[in-house]
Amino acid sequence: MVLVRSIIGFFTLLIFTRIIGKEQLSQLTFFDYVLGITIGSIAGTLTTDLSSRAWPHWVGLLAWSALGYLMELITLKWHYAAKMLEGEPVIVIMKGKIMEKVLKKAKYRASDILALLRNQGVFDPNQVEYAIIEPNGQLSILKKPEFQPVTPKDMNIQVQDSGISTELVYDGILIEENLRQLNKDKDWLMNELRQHGVYSLSEVFLVALNSEGSLYIDKYEDHLTKVTDIGDFKGPF
Amino acid sequence: MVAAIPIATLILFIGIMLSGDFLKRPLTQKDNIPQMIQSISDNVLMEQWDEAENGTKELETAWKAIVHRVQFSSERDEINNFGTCLARLKGTMKTHDKNSAIMELSEALDHWNNLGR
Repeated sequence: MVLVRSIIGFFTLLIFTRIIGKEQLSQLTFFDYVLGITIGSIAGTLTTDLSSRAWPHWVGLLAWSALGYLMELITLKWHYAAKMLEGEPVIVIMKGKIMEKVLKKAKYRASDILALLRNQGVFDPNQVEYAIIEPNGQLSILKKPEFQPVTPKDMNIQVQDSGISTELVYDGILIEENLRQLNKDKDWLMNELRQHGVYSLSEVFLVALNSEGSLYIDKYEDHLTKVTDIGDFKGPF
Repeated sequence: MVAAIPIATLILFIGIMLSGDFLKRPLTQKDNIPQMIQSISDNVLMEQWDEAENGTKELETAWKAIVHRVQFSSERDEINNFGTCLARLKGTMKTHDKNSAIMELSEALDHWNNLGR
């Protein structure tokens, strides 16, 4: 009985979350977070609470998911409602000054802001021109011009477009669709691989081609004599 | 296909969860629970204990078959309570306790009616 209910709960949850949840975990507002917990809890009860039928729990799951989806639609179409339901970004540091009243209203302590700044790699508040608390609770910062990193443009350096690499072979299997999109064929690829000492596709784990036309080749045999272990303590592996 | 699979899955799940009321209907003459309860009741009232005891055994057999069909759409408590009523009913058959037997049969019928609802 629990097994059948588990299957019902699992796949219902999967389908409902696929419908309502397009956002990444880091983009969740506090309400989205609570909504997720509630829906998960209902699915858990559906599975194991045999003292009641599965149907009322399933209807609850459907109702919460439908309301979550409705909220998402409302906030998407109606900006006024989005401001009310999801909140809005608030500036907590403006021109280097901490906005105490805003901080109090947002229920953040100064130490919270300093911690969020440190998360962004800023250990000195003097470096910050603007800091904004986003509706998802993350802090966005704009550093003062003198603390901004130098870019190639500042140095008048010409850079080439790096583009995106395309996978041609994965796990020893040729991805012919990607080859076709790049107007290449298998003969060309094998010729290129031979120049790198690869004579069969089964020898390579990954082959990718970047926009500049150079290949990244990773063989199964890495021929590394010493592999760096970054673990600090002894453990089972 | 992308939409059809989830929709078909959800329809299947809804079907399983709401199947109790449909699946508890008698499929043969030997699994008509309300009729069997009524028949046992009549025998108890007429103090025909041998017939009533045989009817109880048949009721137990029918219940064991039906419980497999309705278990996914019913409350565990209702299933357990019906089972308990049956066990107590068997006891009243041995002692020929007319009052208790009628009470148990009445309660069993109530649990049966609530099953899958």
